[in-house]
Amino acid sequence: MKADTVSERSLLAATGLTRAYRGGKGVFDVTLRLNPGEVLGLMGPNGSGKTTLLRLLATAATPTGGQISWFGNSNPRDPSVRRRLGIMLDQPAHFEQMTGYQNAWFFAHQFGLGDELTRERLDELFRWSGLSDARDQRVSEYSLGMKRKLNLVEALVHRPSVLLLDEPSLALDYRAELDLIERLQLLSLTGTAVALATNDVHLAERICDRVVFLHQGRVIREGQVPELLTEVAGSQEVELQLNSPIGLERIRALPEVEAANVEADTVHIVLARGTNPAQVLAVLNGTADLVSNMRVRRPNLGDLFLKLTGEALPVAHP
Amino acid sequence: MMLAGTIWQRELVEFAQRRRALVIKLGFPLLVALPLVISGAPTIYAAMALTMLITIVGALGSGAVLTRERQSGLTLRYRTLPVTPGRLLIERLSTSALIDFFQLTPVLLVVAVRHPSAFVWWPALLLSVAAVLLIGNLLGAVASTLSDSPGEVMLYVIIPLLPLLYLSGVFTPLEPPILLVVSRLLPFSYLYEALLGALGGQPNLLPWETVLGGFGFLVGAIGLTGRFGRRVLESD
Repeated sequence: MKADTVSERSLLAATGLTRAYRGGKGVFDVTLRLNPGEVLGLMGPNGSGKTTLLRLLATAATPTGGQISWFGNSNPRDPSVRRRLGIMLDQPAHFEQMTGYQNAWFFAHQFGLGDELTRERLDELFRWSGLSDARDQRVSEYSLGMKRKLNLVEALVHRPSVLLLDEPSLALDYRAELDLIERLQLLSLTGTAVALATNDVHLAERICDRVVFLHQGRVIREGQVPELLTEVAGSQEVELQLNSPIGLERIRALPEVEAANVEADTVHIVLARGTNPAQVLAVLNGTADLVSNMRVRRPNLGDLFLKLTGEALPVAHP
Repeated sequence: MMLAGTIWQRELVEFAQRRRALVIKLGFPLLVALPLVISGAPTIYAAMALTMLITIVGALGSGAVLTRERQSGLTLRYRTLPVTPGRLLIERLSTSALIDFFQLTPVLLVVAVRHPSAFVWWPALLLSVAAVLLIGNLLGAVASTLSDSPGEVMLYVIIPLLPLLYLSGVFTPLEPPILLVVSRLLPFSYLYEALLGALGGQPNLLPWETVLGGFGFLVGAIGLTGRFGRRVLESD
């Protein structure tokens, strides 16, 4: 992974990007850039605009405001732009009645690859993705994880300059996720820029150089991962698993509590530096028996998001 | 394993791989057309039924497919391919129309065998069938942008088609001059006339006039399909 330098020319640059949908959803006034070899994480809860932003960057949606420049070209329909993008959208859409190999072959040819090169690269990518045994199976018989792997194969086959991936680790098993991380790291070393929308804080911390936090369609924070993590360094994340709901007001009222949020049956609390987590239990005062489990761990990007918005990122891997 | 590297090849490969659908697609038009052509039904009724059959075959095929693709996210993937929307839609719809033509070939052969002396009408019939199939496919494609299910798309296709068929003089001969002019601005009238001729009836147009109409609408349909590329593939 490369550090961001001013001298590098951005492969992709968005300025004041807006796409508004009825009901107030969308993305608003987003400005970002993506440099060669950089891995950029787009993080935010469901409905924060990650997928919309990725679709705009992928030329799959048209902005209602602002501008995007791909490789210095602002025409999204220019085939020379699209040929250099590798895209994995949120829906792993395929021609279900065709085999995995037939699908990959078709998409590879759309990007101008010849028969020989396609065969060679697909053989390697099917081996890498673990889909070799299922290559002649119809996609309708694939599991969700297999379909997403096939999407990755299709996004990588033409060796794009920019990879745009929506939740790439979703539905992947441990081994496949590890392979994906290694692949992305290798690609970034060779100059491929990657933008990935994810809720997986571990994936983001491991491979992203920079992260953009999205909340209600707007960028609320952007920065290098180590720089962002220093903002929560020293504080602690306490997770309380509950048998029954409890009010958060009393917890939030504690001066040591920087943020608190409930997701499903778990309360996430970010405690200030030097606070004893037992103080949280003390404030529950008589309701502590409702806590079935308590976990204290080092803070991560998810805790910073919680601190900034009061909203927890959904757990990527329960 | 058949591999397809282009959009039109992919359409053909998928069609060829779906054997059950292939049998149904070939059998269904024959089932409608055989009794009409063999039994010697009055020419105007046979031509009317066949015009409706050809129009509906064209309109329903691509409409249902495109609605399904929109729901599954495939349309979104098509948008990210390095192909212009106009070219993409022309390639897809013309292949779809070609498949529809193949589906109707047994019907056309039955007509040819039953009325061999009407061979003078064949260029006009082939051209107007091609034009109506492409226009039908385009209509289905546009309707797919308005609907959420393949069932709904049928409704959106049939609603404009029925009055258009009426205005083409398919259901009943048109007397007022203004309606006659309107009918000549619609592709279905040329198909109806060509079918009347090919079935041994008494058409109102000459074969060369029908050829001209069919050809004009075929070229127009290709141009229109290119123009509608963005409307169909980029509507949210």
